Amino acid sequence: MLLRLNQASRIIKSGGKKVTLLDTINLDVKEGEFISLMGPSGSGKSTLLNCIGMLDNFTDGGYVFLEEPVHSMKERDRSKLYKEYIGFVFQAYHLIDELTVQENIETPLLYKNVKSSERKAMVADMLDRFNIVGKKDLFPAQLSGGQQQLVGIARALISKPKLILADEPTGNLNSKQGIEIMELFSELNKEGVTIIQATHSESNAAYGSQIINLLDGRIVTE
Amino acid sequence: MIWIYFKIAWRNLKKRQLYTAINILGLVTGISFALLISAFVWQEFQGNKNLKNANSQYILTSQWKNPNMGVEFATLAPLAERLKEEYPHLVANYYRWDGLTSIVSNGSVNFRESIQLGDESFLDMYGFNLLYGNANTAFNNPFSVVIKSEKATKFFGKTDVVGETLTIQNFEGDNHEFIITGVLAKTPENSVTQITKQNNGGFFITKNSATYFDRAHFQDWEAPIFACYVELQPGITAQQLADPIERLIQNHTSEVFQKNLTVVPQKLTDYYLNKDHASLKQMLYTLSFVGFFIVIMAMINFINIAISHSGSRIKEIGVRKVLGGNRKQLILQFLTESIILVSISTVLACLSYPFLSPWFEGLIGKELMNLSQFPIYFLFIPFLFILVLGLFVGLYPAFVLSSFKSIDALQGKLKTGTKAVYLRKSLLSFQYVTALIVLISAILVTQQLNSFFGKNLGYDKDSLITATIPRDWTQEGVKKMLTIRNEFSKLPSVENVSLSYEIPNGNNGFQMSIYKTGENPEQSYATQGLVSDDAYLETYQISLVAGRFLESEETNPDLVVINEKASDTYGFKNAEEAIGHQLNIIDDENPLTIIGVISDFHFESMQQPIKPQVFFNVNTNLHYRYLSFKLKAGNIKESLMAIQQKWQSLMPDSSFEYQFMDDTLATLYENELQFKKATYTASILSFIIGLLGIFGMVSLSINKRIKEVGIRKVLGASVASISYLFIKEFLVILVLSILIACPLAYLLMNQWLSNYAYRITIGLNPFLIGILLIGSITIILILFQTLKTAIANPIKSLKTE
Repeated sequence: MLLRLNQASRIIKSGGKKVTLLDTINLDVKEGEFISLMGPSGSGKSTLLNCIGMLDNFTDGGYVFLEEPVHSMKERDRSKLYKEYIGFVFQAYHLIDELTVQENIETPLLYKNVKSSERKAMVADMLDRFNIVGKKDLFPAQLSGGQQQLVGIARALISKPKLILADEPTGNLNSKQGIEIMELFSELNKEGVTIIQATHSESNAAYGSQIINLLDGRIVTE
Repeated sequence: MIWIYFKIAWRNLKKRQLYTAINILGLVTGISFALLISAFVWQEFQGNKNLKNANSQYILTSQWKNPNMGVEFATLAPLAERLKEEYPHLVANYYRWDGLTSIVSNGSVNFRESIQLGDESFLDMYGFNLLYGNANTAFNNPFSVVIKSEKATKFFGKTDVVGETLTIQNFEGDNHEFIITGVLAKTPENSVTQITKQNNGGFFITKNSATYFDRAHFQDWEAPIFACYVELQPGITAQQLADPIERLIQNHTSEVFQKNLTVVPQKLTDYYLNKDHASLKQMLYTLSFVGFFIVIMAMINFINIAISHSGSRIKEIGVRKVLGGNRKQLILQFLTESIILVSISTVLACLSYPFLSPWFEGLIGKELMNLSQFPIYFLFIPFLFILVLGLFVGLYPAFVLSSFKSIDALQGKLKTGTKAVYLRKSLLSFQYVTALIVLISAILVTQQLNSFFGKNLGYDKDSLITATIPRDWTQEGVKKMLTIRNEFSKLPSVENVSLSYEIPNGNNGFQMSIYKTGENPEQSYATQGLVSDDAYLETYQISLVAGRFLESEETNPDLVVINEKASDTYGFKNAEEAIGHQLNIIDDENPLTIIGVISDFHFESMQQPIKPQVFFNVNTNLHYRYLSFKLKAGNIKESLMAIQQKWQSLMPDSSFEYQFMDDTLATLYENELQFKKATYTASILSFIIGLLGIFGMVSLSINKRIKEVGIRKVLGASVASISYLFIKEFLVILVLSILIACPLAYLLMNQWLSNYAYRITIGLNPFLIGILLIGSITIILILFQTLKTAIANPIKSLKTE
């Protein structure tokens, strides 16, 4: 078991009213799964991803990640945990504009205090694997959307995460680029990486091994 | 890791050039100014510290109960000598000098120069070095002179002049040759070779030549005109001298001195900063204060701009946090950026030092040290500066920027708390307040100074020049000088010429206590005595109120003219009534008769109230120093040439060294003019920095509300209404700042003006001008930036979300 959500909810106060963003979610994710979250805008896909990714917190219920109770952890330990095991891929890529391709990919390793020589080797490896060695000194603005997302995925993978959380990874791409990225995901999944993606597209969702539908913060069918 | 911070910081700065430029410009301005000020302050604190045994060197200063009896920096010459003779365990050495001004010439080259006639201990006691000549034997023979190297250059065009001769005139008009036995190396500022700014002696003669000059004797217990210095034995304090001094004064001086004089030894190192009512110290404080404020303004800018630009950093912050960057690492990264910016600014400021120092020298009226003249350990100061300033300005933005929540940051939500907004607004209003106060002060100082040079002087200073003339204070001498005066007045370009002892520069010859004849001598009034010829009134265009002025053929020494102030002070109902009345000088039986009353004019600086004055006729009171020329309108240069030519034929032994009355006044108001320059500089600097700050704040505001502007435009808002949206935000701060600044400026300037007996009334105008200026510039700056946003197509701004 990679992670388990037990009656997990997120309720916030907005303008004096309670708003339920996630409502008693129960979810088990085993290692090697590829889950697609579907649902209309505002159904809670992104919130769920953020909470699983520990960028946000559930306000209620239990969250166990690799046998560790995330809901009762301190902020510091939580960030240690996600730094180690989780990689993020965003719809808008979120590359750092001031850094080159190579440096963008290297950044997570810097924050994990990996030694310089080791870093260089890992980054070179990743560049090679994604076939972007020739682009390593370019800045994000000089790349196409598909290439930027490729770099985004490479950056998510560099720290060898067990889980990749992808929030509409193809949302800003054209269909051809979208297919390439989805195929990359399914390849990674085959290599053993667990993936949870949020998507609007039926065809993208089909790449996953399991589809979960969300509506108003609740899982509707499984 | 650090290297990577540097790399990223560098790229960030390069990318946002405008932001970087604004920051660097502000910081360079602040740091350069601070650097110049600290160099100056340090240099001035070194004054007298370079003298040999500087910690044991003292000057004997005089405190007079009756301030007319003498000046502070001079005292009785034998005092120092007897101190050493009778208390050798206290006093190790002494040096005294008498200041002379006379004509020094090398062949046909001649100038009026200040001469120190003093003790032989001069060179050895202070460790002054000679460029040429032997310090041990320099003063062995009479008629030897040691000169400063710049005087050697002035007279001979070179410094190696030992063995050459100079001719120096005495007060009978005789000339005698002096052999140059030494050339003094350039000395750091000190109160021995230059005790006041005016007394910049370049010639040193010892008392073995004193008889030639026929001055007061070095043994005279009644002549408090000598600058006296003593070097104390190691470990002795000034307090231990108090009793010996008191005893010597009691034993040797007359009752008048015993009653009025207290001699206080002052350490030379302290004396340098404290002389002239501590005016130097005050200036150093003022400058440091101004410099401090300007650096603070520059720092505030940096902080404001850094935070206001956080919008452009927010996504990066979010990504970094998601990728596992913790707060400490982010803070370090932002600090690196601020330290780089401060470093660049500091380096630029250091580089600009040589270019800015001439300008600053103009401001302080003094030479500033070269960078290379500072001790080596000063190299650390820029580093210290960088570290402290970098941390100071970097910490707050770093904390604010790194505090954003990662998800909010990723979504571009700028959540700055109301606290931070208030802080920034108060920082901005601090800048406004400073700029306004400085600006209003500058305007008021200018107004006050204009009044010094304007119509209410009481005489007409235009086209008026004065020239010093050789002394021959005898009946014949005066007669001859009056003939020369008449010759000059025949020149077609000259309207009037007057011979006098005084010109309106604040230095008059003698003070008297005067009472109305027949009344109680206890009821006497301190009065300034002036000596002039009959043409003085016309030359200076002072009006006659009653009676007549001094006349040319008058031989009665007791006929005097007084000013209106005197007439009032002595208790005459009006000027007419005073005519024919008699006055007595205390301790003088012989009464004076008033023959005329003239209107008041400002003889001294306007800091001083006009005092009662009595004019004596130069015919009978044989003292004079100046010829004053009133030139006719026309070509000034030609007029001066004509006078110069005439001068050479009439007085071939002396040179025509003249000064315009305007320049004389400029010397009189030197401190005020300096202060004016300082306020101008401060207003310009605070304006530059303040405007940069406003610029930064406006861009923040636009940054934050770009979407709002887009929506408003879609809904049909006009460009004007959108611009007003932003102007409104700043007007509130501006109005608040005005409410704070105006009363503060009023209080400050009122305080300053109270130094002057004659002052302008503080009107509304300076405040209005200041407010209008700062308000309109703010609005222009806002419009400049908002118009671009307001005109832009709203689709673009809405799409960025």
